[in-house]
Amino acid sequence: MKKEIAKFTINDRPYELLVESNVTLAELLREQLDLTGTKCACGVGECGSCTVLIDGKPTLSCSTLAIAVREKDILTIESLATREGLHPIQQAFIDHGAIQCGFCTPGMIMMTKALLDENPDPTEQEVKEGIGGNLCRCTGYVKIVDGILAAAESMGKEGGR
Amino acid sequence: MGEELTIVGKKVPRWAAFEKATGAARFTVDFKLPEMLAGRLLTSPVAHANILKIDTSRAEKLPGVEAVITFEDVPNKLFNPNKMDMCLFDPSGELPDMYVLSDKARFVGDKIAAVAAINAGVAEEALVLIEVEYEELPAVFDSLEASNPGQPRIHDFAKNNIALTFPCLANRGDVEEGFKEAHVVVEQTFKSSKQHMCQMEPTTCVADFDASGRLTIWSMSQHPFLHRRKLAELFDMPVGMIRWKTLHIGGGWGKYGSFVAEPVCVALAKKAGRPVKLEYSREEDFRTTETREAHIMTGKIGVRKDGTISALQNKVVVQGGAYFTHNSNATNVAMGCFASLYTCPNVYEIADAVYTNIPVSGGCRGYGNPPAMWALEQLMDMAAEKLGMDPLELRLKNTKKVGEFGPANYALETSTFDDCLRLGAEKIGLKEKRGGRREGTKRYGVGMAMFMHVSGSIGATQHRNVHLKFNEDGTVNLAAGCVDLGQNIHGTISQIAAETLGIRYEDIIIHTGDTDTTFFDQGMHASGGLFQIGNATVKGATELKKLLFERAAKMLEAHPEDLDVKDRWISVKGSPDKGVSVADVAKDAIYNYEDDHNHLAAKGSYSPEDNQPPVGASFAEVGVDTESGEVNVIKLVIVCDVGRAINPQTVESQLEGGASQGIGYALTEDYTINPETGYLEADNYITYKIPGAADMPDMEIIQYEKPVSTGPFGAKGVGEAAMVPIAPAIANAVYDAVGVRVTDLPITPEKILKSMEAKREKI
Ligand code: FES
Ligand code: FES
Repeated sequence: MKKEIAKFTINDRPYELLVESNVTLAELLREQLDLTGTKCACGVGECGSCTVLIDGKPTLSCSTLAIAVREKDILTIESLATREGLHPIQQAFIDHGAIQCGFCTPGMIMMTKALLDENPDPTEQEVKEGIGGNLCRCTGYVKIVDGILAAAESMGKEGGR
Repeated sequence: MGEELTIVGKKVPRWAAFEKATGAARFTVDFKLPEMLAGRLLTSPVAHANILKIDTSRAEKLPGVEAVITFEDVPNKLFNPNKMDMCLFDPSGELPDMYVLSDKARFVGDKIAAVAAINAGVAEEALVLIEVEYEELPAVFDSLEASNPGQPRIHDFAKNNIALTFPCLANRGDVEEGFKEAHVVVEQTFKSSKQHMCQMEPTTCVADFDASGRLTIWSMSQHPFLHRRKLAELFDMPVGMIRWKTLHIGGGWGKYGSFVAEPVCVALAKKAGRPVKLEYSREEDFRTTETREAHIMTGKIGVRKDGTISALQNKVVVQGGAYFTHNSNATNVAMGCFASLYTCPNVYEIADAVYTNIPVSGGCRGYGNPPAMWALEQLMDMAAEKLGMDPLELRLKNTKKVGEFGPANYALETSTFDDCLRLGAEKIGLKEKRGGRREGTKRYGVGMAMFMHVSGSIGATQHRNVHLKFNEDGTVNLAAGCVDLGQNIHGTISQIAAETLGIRYEDIIIHTGDTDTTFFDQGMHASGGLFQIGNATVKGATELKKLLFERAAKMLEAHPEDLDVKDRWISVKGSPDKGVSVADVAKDAIYNYEDDHNHLAAKGSYSPEDNQPPVGASFAEVGVDTESGEVNVIKLVIVCDVGRAINPQTVESQLEGGASQGIGYALTEDYTINPETGYLEADNYITYKIPGAADMPDMEIIQYEKPVSTGPFGAKGVGEAAMVPIAPAIANAVYDAVGVRVTDLPITPEKILKSMEAKREKI
């Protein structure tokens, strides 16, 4: 298998990694870097659980070759909480009981971040459409939608983050 | 009780929510060990075949391959992967009919061989190099056809592919007499579907033998203790040589009531002499693992002129697939639920468990009750129509009263069916909305279904144990053998412990997931966690509080019975200035330099003395497009008597989640088997469509609280409740809208259009 050295910025840190040409971004994150917060429920682009942000855009890491995103800025769930505390989206998910088994949660939260970065004040319908590609088998989505709307509100008050 | 509760009944954060929100929570798929190998499965591409030869030599020679196993490397012992035979007394039992790896393929997806290699890529390459010579046999996929004479035989012992014929344990009275008394009789066949659990975490197991030969297994079993015993028996090991650990689990709903990856993973680790992680792809998960129990029920109901039910009959064919797994228990539960929802003196049910060459059915959320209600609650509406009675009235005429028996055969302490029915009917606007409002090509309708489930099951090993100990800062370690798959049992028992001890929720440090360090727990099934482990926790915490008070009484020079504890502070009744903190007492016990040492610790054990069922009703409002056949659920109202909600947010989310699975079951989750090849066509999230956010209707969840004396703080189990009545409520609403009844799940647009067509032709 062809291998190349490639540079990435992952969660604001610079990385220089030896990457096999057929390795997906999800594999790179989970196996090479042990960033297992990113989950893979299907591995084939159907469920959204592996969503990360690449240059701010939501991307399915299971269906993206690592080498194809060299030099890019990659954000995973591990980047959201800081020393100061949780990201408002994370806090809202906890407060609203939007997490049951938690397996869809990282992808759902990253998708929410992309959604709110783009549209800070979404309607309920826009939220439902925005997370339309992120499957959750536990919650029935009610509390996730509540959490996202509450996060939008608290981020609006804080002036965004 | 009677006192004001400060933690129970409150919305406190769920267990592990912080770890899950930050990505820090480690699930089994995330777990790694040094030197760990990747395991992969080889499954049968054909539905029915003898295996003439398996040549693994080329695979073994591939560099990086550490072990290849076939039927020759696994115990030569038939077993049943389901744990129910160890925890339930059941006269018909669950048949052992499966090997860890088979020398005969009985469905597309049957496990044939497995590989462990230095990484997944090498393991997958090795699978391709295994040469299997299949001698294909004729196959049968339809459970009704399979028992006809002359069909291919799937297991040698099962004549006409009937594994077992068994009557319902709740049969009573004389149905023939009952039907004679009836003013109307309705008979109809209903088919329920093999819903897939679709838990989001792919099935995974890690197994590791240490130098002494002791096995540690990390897996998502819902029953670590029972499965440890089962595994020990299967591999001829002493139970003590197995340690079973559980990490975070991404959903289960009964899938892990059976072994899934464990036996193959253990066999691989044994042969390789290194730790192995066996992970299923999503496609394999669909193809090879157990689905919901599925039945074909020919139900018959007799109703007297006054609306009371005179007889119920149900002839059941179990669509069990290629192996037996849960057929007996899940079907007994199905028949039991059919027999016990309403007051009825005459009941006769009987089931045939039939083998076919399709993937295996197991037991999923509701465990028999959803298929039973799919039949019974539609029969009720059909009978109401024939009788000319309102379906709500018909139900109200037949609801069970206090003292009558629930499905687990305990007398009901409360009866809230009528309240739940009336409340829900009012919330959805049943009267106003009934009768098919029209708008363009759309027709609208409303429907309802009632339910009663259980708070745990009954039987010999249904016991639960927890232990609690005080740390010197007043925090408490609560160790429990239960498993949290996302239902928040760890959070709710922590609330119960904190409430009982008079400390704070955050003072409880829960420890679970390790058979070495927790006491026996029979596992997560039958909505029994909260009712049973909650009771064990009340007992243990009450005992610990007694020890705390005894010690505090000495320090305060008071009588233990005069003490009170609230928010970490112990006070003496009537002497407001006398008191001591819980932490100081706990510390004194450990660090008393005067030699009076002790460690305040207690155990709580509970064996079911009672079983008060969650009951309620659901109501659906639907729109049906008469041109496309599309059904759109506009609103769902679910009223559930939960006894007491320990954490109302958790209870609500259980009911919402159950409802969403019910919607998928009703409308879109279509487990299609190719009728020629037996190949599962819906093996991914595109063809097998579970609800997404945009598919969810407006939902109104009403937690009706009427505490029961035998539940912890009055609570009942609600994990499965909402799943049970959704599909029949939607079917009844569809009938109200367009006058056709789809009797086999799911209710797809094609089936609706076909039924409408057939109806038009009749007219
Ligand atoms: S794992 Fe990437 S979309 Fe499902
Ligand atoms: S919380 Fe379990 S899949 Fe979403």
